[in-house]
Amino acid sequence: MNLEMKIIREVSDQAENFYEDAVGLGDHAADALKAQHRSQMTELENIADSALKSSDIFDYIKKQSARFHYWRQAFAGHSDARIGFGERLKTYLEKDMTKKLAAICERLDIGDSSDEDKQKRRRIYLMLIRQFIHQMVAEYEYQTSPASIARKREA
Amino acid sequence: MLSTAQLEKIDLLSDTLLYDQAVSFIQRLVRVEHCNPLPTSQVTGLLNIAESFRYDELYRFVTHQRDRNWPPSKSDIKTFYSALEQVLSTMMRKSLREEFHLLTERPGASASEMRQEADALMARLAREFIQHLVAENGLIAAKMEDERRQQRMNRR
Repeated sequence: MNLEMKIIREVSDQAENFYEDAVGLGDHAADALKAQHRSQMTELENIADSALKSSDIFDYIKKQSARFHYWRQAFAGHSDARIGFGERLKTYLEKDMTKKLAAICERLDIGDSSDEDKQKRRRIYLMLIRQFIHQMVAEYEYQTSPASIARKREA
Repeated sequence: MLSTAQLEKIDLLSDTLLYDQAVSFIQRLVRVEHCNPLPTSQVTGLLNIAESFRYDELYRFVTHQRDRNWPPSKSDIKTFYSALEQVLSTMMRKSLREEFHLLTERPGASASEMRQEADALMARLAREFIQHLVAENGLIAAKMEDERRQQRMNRR
C-alpha cells in the first residue's frame, strides 16, 4: 500500500475514534448557536475545506468567538460548564487533535525534522480537522433539525 | 516573484512557528505587561496595510505609530507598536536567512534584487504574523469584556 492510501486509512480510523468527541461538540454548537445561526456552521465547514493552513481555521474560530457572544456560550452538558463553544473547539483541535496526528505520523514513520515531513504532517492535520468539523456539523444539523426540536419539546 | 517553494515554506512557517509566536506576543503584552488589547480602529488599519503586501509601507506605518506622541491613556498602543517593530526587525535582519532559510545569496543577483526579494518575503511573513495576532487580540478583548460584564452583574 502506498503512503497516500495509508494516510487515508489512518485518518479514517482516527475519525472513527473521535466521532464521540465530535458529537459532543456538535451538541454544544446546537445549544449555543441554535438553528438560527446555521450559516456559521456552514461557513466553518467552507473555511475548513478550503483552508491551506490549520492556523487559518484557528484564526477563523477566534474571530467568530470574538464577534458573536453565542460562540462564547458555555454548555451545561459538558464537564467544564464554563468553556464556550469556540474555545472548546479550538482547544480540541489544537491539543487533542495534535496527539492523534502524532500517533498517525509515528505509525507511518513520518518525522518532524525535514520540511518535507513537516508538510506531510500539516496535510494530515488538515485532513483530521476537516473530518472532525464535518462530523461535528452533521451532529449540529441533526440536533437543530425541526424533527429533533419537536422531539425535545415533546420530551 | 516568489517561488512556489518559498510560498510553501511561508505556509509551513505560519502554521508551525508564526502562529504560536503571534499568540505569545499578544498574550505577553496583555498578561505580563498589562496592556489593553489593541483597539479596533488600530486593528483595522494594521490589517489593511498588512493585506497590501507592501513591506516598506507596513514598516513605515508601524514605526510611525510607535513614534507618535500618544496621550497617557493610549500608551499601550505605543508599547504594542514598539514590540511589533522589534519582531519585524529581527525577522528581517536575522530570521529570514538564518532561521527560516528563505533568502539565500544567488550568484549574479544585485543588492537591489536581493532587497526586493527580502521585502516580498517579509510582506508575506508579516501578514501571517499580524493576522494571527489580530485574531488572538480580538478573542482576548472579547473575553475581557465578558469578565467586566460579569463583574458588573455580580456587583448588582
